[in-house]
Amino acid sequence: MTDLAQLSARALARAIRDKKVSSVEATQEAIDRLRACHELTNCIITLEADDALAAARSVDAAIAAGTAAGPLAGVPLAHKDMFDRKGKIASWGAKIRADKPAAADATVIARCRSAGALQIAALHLTEFAYGPTGHNYVLGHARNPWDPTRITGGSSGGTAAAVAYGAIPAGLGSDTGGSLRLPAACCGVTSIKPTWGRISRAGAMPLSPQLDTVGFIARHVEDLALMLGIAAGPDPRDPSAAALPVPDYVARLEEPVRGLRVGVDAKVVGEAHPDVQRMIEDVLAVLGRLGLERSPCAFPDWQTLDHLVQLVQLPDASAAHGAYLRARPDDYGPQVRSRVEVGHFIPAVDHLTALRARGTYLQRTLDDTFKSIDIAILPNLADPLPTIAELDVGGGPKVQAAMGRVVKYTRPINYLGLPTLTLPIPRRGGLPNGIQLIGQPFAEAQLLAIGQAYQREVPPEIARPL
Amino acid sequence: MAASPDDAATNASADGEPARYLHMPPERRALAKAHAAMLAQTADRIAAALPIGADVDDFRRVLAAEAKP
Repeated sequence: MTDLAQLSARALARAIRDKKVSSVEATQEAIDRLRACHELTNCIITLEADDALAAARSVDAAIAAGTAAGPLAGVPLAHKDMFDRKGKIASWGAKIRADKPAAADATVIARCRSAGALQIAALHLTEFAYGPTGHNYVLGHARNPWDPTRITGGSSGGTAAAVAYGAIPAGLGSDTGGSLRLPAACCGVTSIKPTWGRISRAGAMPLSPQLDTVGFIARHVEDLALMLGIAAGPDPRDPSAAALPVPDYVARLEEPVRGLRVGVDAKVVGEAHPDVQRMIEDVLAVLGRLGLERSPCAFPDWQTLDHLVQLVQLPDASAAHGAYLRARPDDYGPQVRSRVEVGHFIPAVDHLTALRARGTYLQRTLDDTFKSIDIAILPNLADPLPTIAELDVGGGPKVQAAMGRVVKYTRPINYLGLPTLTLPIPRRGGLPNGIQLIGQPFAEAQLLAIGQAYQREVPPEIARPL
Repeated sequence: MAASPDDAATNASADGEPARYLHMPPERRALAKAHAAMLAQTADRIAAALPIGADVDDFRRVLAAEAKP
């Protein structure tokens, strides 16, 4: 076993279970690789090597005794540093942090742990997960492992960088306006932003609870399926967690995709950079080879959706930060401070109008946009992969427009709450980018089956091969 | 610098200016107000066509009713 970095989490778990490699070996290699990744990308906030290796030794002992359980037993993972872990204080990517350690694990952390996964580090995020580029004016910016002058995307940039580098096969992130999809696209890996409510948010740092969605970034779609199945489901700690049954996503990965209809909103896609439009065509060509049928579709007015999601998000985030912004305004970085302030200027009646209209817009989207299609395709980024310098706008007058352009294709989908799978484009030696496939409510299994078929044509890549 | 609750109450009611309790330079305050005003135009248009029965819970109801797991 010489190339653990290439393996999916599922394959690595199998290798550990079959004693072809020990969890200690896999974990030590992941730690070494993550350290190297950090030198290049600034992806680590806290490395927990000793604890992880001790946990790995326990797993190896349990496997030797025939008692290890869990589909991820002994697999080293690392996650965005915004999830509660008992006895620890998450950084939130910020100078401002909780004043005491967490009393319990976040539900997703507990479920990953129950599946046997190890956590070797807490990873970089944009300050308070409030930014789509990977810039962090408090802890330093994240850098893309394919080209360190480029953005990782945010806010789950550390997870995406570590996955793309091959340090870990998968990790947790969250998405309020694109924070799983943009890093996955920028770093050339996959992500699943499930339907709002599919995964419990209990113990996850809130940004805009009406929109916040926990999900995963991975190189292999099969890992997204495995981990979604582990994490999804009702939770008494989060009343918004859906009570719907959780499908066996892994078992459904091989469901046929031929004949499924993929919708293209030519007007909306046409607002992207010409190179990005060509990327969409490249992906559509791959999907066509898989037997998917292209079909026109039309989303509700895209700018209206973008305004509505801001009317939800901005006051929601301002309210969440009400105490800190009043007490410690100078402890915020300039960009997040300026964005958190804006919500205070939005009247409550406008916020409620956007919330009251949300069901209507979702129903209209399902009845009209999805009337004759199964999924829709959109860009993730409107432009080719930007540099860190190009988007280094701080909290200045350009921040709303610059950030708005980055989340142009992602933020409105959060308003609709629909599940979205990000897939990397066929790169052909160029910079990475990605597209998003949008499904109907709770139709993650269908998206993942398409992604699994897609990766047979466009295999996962590692940014820095051994 | 932190504002006291008394400051906040005074600032909020002094001249009708929103969020006086935030320590913002005038130019950033103006930008925030302009952005909120731009979004308010959309809210106004949507509100004019939204039936009285539209409810914040409609979103979760539609998600569940249209589930295709």
